[in-house]
Amino acid sequence: MPPKSILKKTTTVSTNAPGRTKPLNPRHLDVALHHANILEERKRVERQVLESIMTLMDFPASPNADAKRPTATDAHQFREAVVPFQPADYDALIEERNIANKCGYALCPRPKRKARSTARKQFVDTDHGVEIVDRKVLEVWCSDDCARRALYVKVQLSEEPAWSRQGGYGDTIELMVENADEHQKALPLRLKEGPTSSTNDDEDDLAAAWAAREDAMTDLAVERGEKPGQLSKANNDLVQDQITERFATNVPPQPPSLPSQSSEHTMAIEGHVPRSDRKDEEKDEDDDPQDWDKHLPG
Amino acid sequence: MEGEKYQPSLIRMWRVWRTAKEMMNDRGYLVIEDDMTLSLEDFAQKYAREDGEPDRSRLNFSCQPSEEMLLKYTPAPTKKEPNPTPEIGTIWIEFNSDENVGLKQLRDYMGHLLNGSFYSGIMVTVKPMTGMAIRLLRGATGMSDGPKGGVEVFVEQDLLVNITKHELVPKHVLLSAEEKDQLLQRYRLKQTQLPRIQSTDPVAKYLGLRRGAVVKIIRKSETAGRYASYRWVI
Repeated sequence: MPPKSILKKTTTVSTNAPGRTKPLNPRHLDVALHHANILEERKRVERQVLESIMTLMDFPASPNADAKRPTATDAHQFREAVVPFQPADYDALIEERNIANKCGYALCPRPKRKARSTARKQFVDTDHGVEIVDRKVLEVWCSDDCARRALYVKVQLSEEPAWSRQGGYGDTIELMVENADEHQKALPLRLKEGPTSSTNDDEDDLAAAWAAREDAMTDLAVERGEKPGQLSKANNDLVQDQITERFATNVPPQPPSLPSQSSEHTMAIEGHVPRSDRKDEEKDEDDDPQDWDKHLPG
Repeated sequence: MEGEKYQPSLIRMWRVWRTAKEMMNDRGYLVIEDDMTLSLEDFAQKYAREDGEPDRSRLNFSCQPSEEMLLKYTPAPTKKEPNPTPEIGTIWIEFNSDENVGLKQLRDYMGHLLNGSFYSGIMVTVKPMTGMAIRLLRGATGMSDGPKGGVEVFVEQDLLVNITKHELVPKHVLLSAEEKDQLLQRYRLKQTQLPRIQSTDPVAKYLGLRRGAVVKIIRKSETAGRYASYRWVI
């Protein structure tokens, strides 16, 4: 037999239990879902970045590719993969490629440059004389040219993480290439639909208007940086269009005030003047006119 | 003097290796007693190269779980699965000699674990891994392409000293599924009502605790002699 409880029996529990299946306030559920979706999106982006880095580690596919004139497919793939990156992710990619003994620029097949010795610090001749740098800094690229090309990509990356990006800003990455016109052609062309011919029928007009609205909405969604089939960032449920005005209370706010005579006192502690201080002060003030001759010797 | 006879790197490696063996023993794997008390001379004879540096590739070893450990890691039988299999198996400990460990090495290691059909693995690296490799590791425990039991990574420096032998570290004992149920019933708790311990806690890492497990922590107490508390791993 189970032990008997000495606590009062609460009847409210049983009555509440069926009610708990549906949320008390649907707004709470919406808020929870909204944040859960944001987290889910973040996880998805992080996984995508990780996978991109893993593929870009083994880039380019052919060993005799040229960093100056990459093939259109390689360049396209690289550009696509790099879009969700933050600069820190790009640094991670360079680091990973260096560990694999490759040049940091993902479109370059050559191994990274070797420093002259295995010393930790190296002397380098620059325009402003000799500099001492870490060996690691030297052994990142295969050449200065590759470094320039790689950093040209890095400065275009958005600092903002991809899961909180808004708008179409930073969607295209430019490459420093010598065969630029080849890549231009490889870009997918966006087809614009021609204006629909107007008809006399009212219903057709209405349908066309709705369709135009749909088009506009999808255009806006693209502008916000969303892809089709992805979670919408504009959450209509959480933003309400009802406006309730806030009525001002009748009594105007009063500025705070302290009792005037005590607050001006120099020895006041939060408005209160200790008795010892008060007496002295009063006496001093009373005696003040005679004070100077009182203490004078006769 | 002993210190001058051997390279500092060899002495370091000897301590790391011994701690790794002790760690496996504390987790419940079968470890030969002599391995844990191997002296520096014997270690140098067995694993040093001619130039006095330790040969890390020869240090790798694998461990079998003991009967006791198998029982401990067996989940409680349910209606759906009346005969559950223990969630533990052979472990492979590898000492990586590369200066920098990135995604490439980690993926190679995972591939090796899968090929050798090891249940889980521990990689001991010279320096901390890159950030991306850690990210892969975090996601890999639930992924299909890694080994079932997951991969743990330790830096050599973390294993120089066996932290559980410090006087301020209380004894941690992992509870089996059955013991956990008894505990929860005895105190009429849900597991969420227990105090918690992070799985990144040094001792939790040492014992390889997984999320959801409960450890019993036995401390010395001035008034009660011994005091046991229980923590839920998150």
